[in-house]
Amino acid sequence: MSWVKAASLGGEDVFDDTADDLSLQSKEWTSNMKKRIKDGYVDGVNAGEEASLQEGFNQGFREGAAQTVAVGRLRGIVSAVWCWCQIQHPEQPAPSCVVDLLQRATRLEQAIVDGIRSALENPPPSVSDVSESMEDLEVRREEPGCQEMDCCRSEGETDQRNPCGSGECLDVLVQRCVDVASELGLPQELMDHIEELRSVSQSA
Amino acid sequence: MAGRQGADDLFDSILFADERFRGEGYQEGFEKGTSRGLQNGRRHGASHGARLASEISFYYGFAVTWKCLLERNADDRSRKRLRALEALLNLTQKTPLDDPQAVKLQEDTEKLRSKFRQSFSPPVSSFVSNALPFC
Repeated sequence: MSWVKAASLGGEDVFDDTADDLSLQSKEWTSNMKKRIKDGYVDGVNAGEEASLQEGFNQGFREGAAQTVAVGRLRGIVSAVWCWCQIQHPEQPAPSCVVDLLQRATRLEQAIVDGIRSALENPPPSVSDVSESMEDLEVRREEPGCQEMDCCRSEGETDQRNPCGSGECLDVLVQRCVDVASELGLPQELMDHIEELRSVSQSA
Repeated sequence: MAGRQGADDLFDSILFADERFRGEGYQEGFEKGTSRGLQNGRRHGASHGARLASEISFYYGFAVTWKCLLERNADDRSRKRLRALEALLNLTQKTPLDDPQAVKLQEDTEKLRSKFRQSFSPPVSSFVSNALPFC
């Protein structure tokens, strides 16, 4: 019988004894169930994100607002002093101390807003964001020190937002504003409003 | 009878496995998505909040300063302007910055901008427009 000869000569099994129907089906089952989990996961992520976006926005809105109240008010005060000087003495340029203070206040506010925008445009990737795709690639990820990179980043974020520390810089500018108001002989009531900025920034 | 029940449980576990696994994946994904949504929302909200608070606070600072400076003058024109400034200041303090979804916030901000333009002469109000780069 030629097939017996062919089998013994070739050294291959004609019948695959290792083939196991149950094992194959089990693998197929596992693969299907993994796919279900993944499909459910993707749907879950989308639903979760949609459900929490507004709450996150509201929280962030309050936090962002708190960061610019004091410096915005300071800029308003100094701008009004500048305008007043121009109206009272149109033949002269505004005092350089006022111009300088206005520029510094504007720069500080810009730094704060830039910091917030920068965090918006460059969100720190979380480990799980990377690991979702790495799992697809079947690449083993290295465990970082923390489970989520965000937790370490959040401490540094304040520094990145404002390199000089917004509290310290604002205090310096508030003091400078009080000095300028005093030099120009502006009303005491105005200086009281300027001093108030210290408590506005502390409560922010 | 016990055997029959055992067989039923077995069939049920197979029949509902699809939904169960999908459900487990959904739960895990929902937690992840919630966390991501909160973070993304927070960043966007912070940017908007910072810009709006900057503008409203600017108006307040400007108006309160102008009021202090005008109060030194006793003429009628100044007194009229002072009344307009009081109204403007009231508006800045009433504008709610703690609830971005408040319809009042949008309305009050528009009112504030319009009132500010009315309260100050064109040279001053155009200076102010230029001084609000974030808006």
